[in-house]
Amino acid sequence: MLDPAFTSSLAQVLAPASLLTAAEDTRPYECDGLTLFRQQPAAVVLPDNEAQVVAILRLCHAARVPVVARGAGTGLSGGALPAADGVLLSLAKLRRIVAIDPLARTAIVEPGVRNLAISEAAAPFGLFYAPDPSSQIACSIGGNVAENAGGVHCLKYGLTVHNVRKVRAVTIEGDVVEFGNDALDAPGYDLLALITGSEGLLAVITQITVKLIAKPQYAQVALAAFDDLERAGAAVGAVIGAGIIPGGLEMMDQQATRAVEAFVHANYPLDAAAVLLIESDGTPVEVAAEMAEITSVLTASGATEIRVSQDEAQRLLYWSGRKAAFPAVGRISPDYYCIDGTIPRAALPRVLRQIEDWSREYGLPCANVFHAGDGNLHPLILFDANKPGDKERTVEFGDRILELCIDVGGTITGEHGVGVEKIGGMCAQFPPVVLERFLGIKRAFDAQSLLNPGKGVPTLARCAEFGRMHVHHGQLRHPDLPRF
Amino acid sequence: MNSATQSPTRPKPDDVAALTTRLRSEYGDRAQTTQAIREQHSHGEGLADAALPDIVVFPHSNDEVASIMRTCHAARIPVIAFGVGTSLEGHVAALYGGVSLDLSQMNRVLEVNGADLDCRVQAGVTREQLNVELKGTGLFFPIDPGANATIGGMTSTRASGTNAVRYGTMRENVLGLTVVTVDGRIVHTGNRARKSSAGYDLTRLFVGSEGTLGIITEVQLRLYGIPESISAAVCQFPDLKSAVDSVIVAMQLGIPVARIELLDDVQMEACIRYSQLTEFAAKPTLCFEFHGTEAGVREQAQMIEQIAADHGGSAFQWATKPEERSRLWKARHNAYYAAMALAPGKQGFATDACVPISRLTDCVLETQADVAATGLVAPIVGHVGDGNFHLIILFDPANADERAKAEALAARVSMRAIGMGGTCTGEHGVGVHKLEALRAEHGDAVALMQAIKRALDPLNLLNPGKTVPLA
Repeated sequence: MLDPAFTSSLAQVLAPASLLTAAEDTRPYECDGLTLFRQQPAAVVLPDNEAQVVAILRLCHAARVPVVARGAGTGLSGGALPAADGVLLSLAKLRRIVAIDPLARTAIVEPGVRNLAISEAAAPFGLFYAPDPSSQIACSIGGNVAENAGGVHCLKYGLTVHNVRKVRAVTIEGDVVEFGNDALDAPGYDLLALITGSEGLLAVITQITVKLIAKPQYAQVALAAFDDLERAGAAVGAVIGAGIIPGGLEMMDQQATRAVEAFVHANYPLDAAAVLLIESDGTPVEVAAEMAEITSVLTASGATEIRVSQDEAQRLLYWSGRKAAFPAVGRISPDYYCIDGTIPRAALPRVLRQIEDWSREYGLPCANVFHAGDGNLHPLILFDANKPGDKERTVEFGDRILELCIDVGGTITGEHGVGVEKIGGMCAQFPPVVLERFLGIKRAFDAQSLLNPGKGVPTLARCAEFGRMHVHHGQLRHPDLPRF
Repeated sequence: MNSATQSPTRPKPDDVAALTTRLRSEYGDRAQTTQAIREQHSHGEGLADAALPDIVVFPHSNDEVASIMRTCHAARIPVIAFGVGTSLEGHVAALYGGVSLDLSQMNRVLEVNGADLDCRVQAGVTREQLNVELKGTGLFFPIDPGANATIGGMTSTRASGTNAVRYGTMRENVLGLTVVTVDGRIVHTGNRARKSSAGYDLTRLFVGSEGTLGIITEVQLRLYGIPESISAAVCQFPDLKSAVDSVIVAMQLGIPVARIELLDDVQMEACIRYSQLTEFAAKPTLCFEFHGTEAGVREQAQMIEQIAADHGGSAFQWATKPEERSRLWKARHNAYYAAMALAPGKQGFATDACVPISRLTDCVLETQADVAATGLVAPIVGHVGDGNFHLIILFDPANADERAKAEALAARVSMRAIGMGGTCTGEHGVGVHKLEALRAEHGDAVALMQAIKRALDPLNLLNPGKTVPLA
């Protein structure tokens, strides 16, 4: 419950419809895409402009009220989970595309602009915004920056941190600060990289300048089948090791392709233990040359079948299965846990074999769908929460996968962020000397820890068990949305 | 964002003497106090602004660096990391004395992972050494500031070079670091996974921090497959505007050129004389390099040649053989020395403006007119695909009036770039020379940088007086 004097000071800077305090109005904000954690905030504010964001943060800072920023609410680690005694700050109304500069190849946008809307606005200039989380039709660019979002195209075109030029943000004290530069570099400490992926813990983003990329003239995708999972993993390394950086390099195992085929009918080879999707983009000449090289590496790596898309419709069909993999798996199992561990590519065969062994050991099927080129795994452990013991064993299985990821030199989260979900795993991944530096940076921006408290970086005292995402029938919000 | 960064002070002579005794006993000949070695570690290659350290130490391992840091931390003595001293902005000058930590003997390539396209090297490995050691693997490391700098130094200054337009700068190519903190603890940032959403991006925070937040001792780098085909071409233009406009069009079309370098007529004249490029005229010139498959390279080159022709550019003069290419790029890398040779006896220093590419023509043309109005000799060279160009300003150090004119010109270049949404330093870093420009450029963010400096180095012992201005 907020102090009424504080609430009325909020009311003075906001339109009546932009300040929600009734329980039925704040209910829609109780969680993001991770529904395992829910908490209604004391108030929801929906500012229309940066000046209001400044005013809200000044009030919260003065009254020591926690603030959680929220974009489209599609996050998968609970980064936008409200604080019970705090303000949920929605950036949804800041959704102007301020400017597009086709010569500089940049777009200036507000944080509430949807990811895909940027590419749509840039399309008339032959440009697009490259990072493409699968939720791109709904997720907002502000959230993408806060989480350093990835996507299929990131292998070739980089993550959000590589595709953002400048961020304008408001500190908890209400100062408007710009990080980065319209030009390619900025002097001094790289605060732009620091704010990217900071999960709303350092400042509230109000404007973003993104890089745009010339849309490739042509693209083709190769679909390669393997009769052995490990061999498919090795083929991923062979493609990259040959110096080829494809536009996308994705992998699905048999559990996943079977689920998908029943859903989208993409004509995947169902007897294959694993399928790779490898995209080449560029000019037709470049694509032809690269595709020839890709197919020769795949053949040498033991692919049992290789199909190359012959037209745009076929290319999209091959991708449709990958994009719909999560909803498809949701249809065949009552529950699944999604892991976001990321590993050095060379460790793929070993990790995949271990996951397969554990799957047998626990008696829990595991569908593997992931950004193989980046080494970003998304194993989905299938289980039934109504079966006694299933959930506990799933949790243990997931923990072991993440521990393995750390052991082989990887990370507990490749693109979904820490949020509340993986706060425990941070202690396993980072020694105290690193966590202390994280906390020092947090204090430099937000000494009282008012911005998104309890997320992202654990206090040294708070080292608990690994977290994970739990999806239960009917609990996943926007279940129709393509993900990952 | 409140209390000020602790003002640096020179350590007391007694403390320095005690430290010297201790480091000598621990490191023997690897702890040096001779005037010659201290002098060598007092400056980089930029304008002379030497400041001698009290002692120079040459560590061999992370543990030795950690031990030295613990000793210096306990005694409150400043530490300045030193690679091979090629920096241009006074980064390595020991403004408050203390220890110059010379990492050049930590020069081993620790591992090369072909399948992951990465490698791990000690900070003292130079970029040329790395590429020599990569021979036979089919891989290379592309970032090439003119000098044969160390990877540690390049990381600390977020260096780029002629092919950043294709491969990015150190920001994009450093995957992880080993850093020793001011109190002598060893920290590993990043990891061999290609991406991570866990925690703040310490790797990029240390990249470009110019030795003010920690001592970088190891660097995990991204590598690239050596392209199947490489060719270079030179195109000359009737005027500077046509050359720059061609670049803007090429970039907008997204043609993945590996290098696009601009030399104005004055610089071209200098290079023709210095590097015997007698087949070329003293006209505004673009040098291109193309990487890819044979067909891809041919296609890229045709597209660029067409764009250049539309802007009045000459037909391409090709350099396809490796030795022809290396002659051409050597001439480009020697541009600074060529410019200096235009006026023997004069000194030179380089500006480092970088602007959004849509403003590049304006910025370059205004700068050219500005140079003409001063009467100074100041050729233009640039990594124009990145919107980054340098003015090499020549002046007579004995002539106070000329020096003042040169400095005023450089300041105007910085402010012009900032006014166009750009930066005063595209690749050379802040060091001591650009502290005020940083304030002009970053405004309120400087306070956050100070707060971060305070969080990671509360006593201001790491390379004091650089990178971030005091409050």
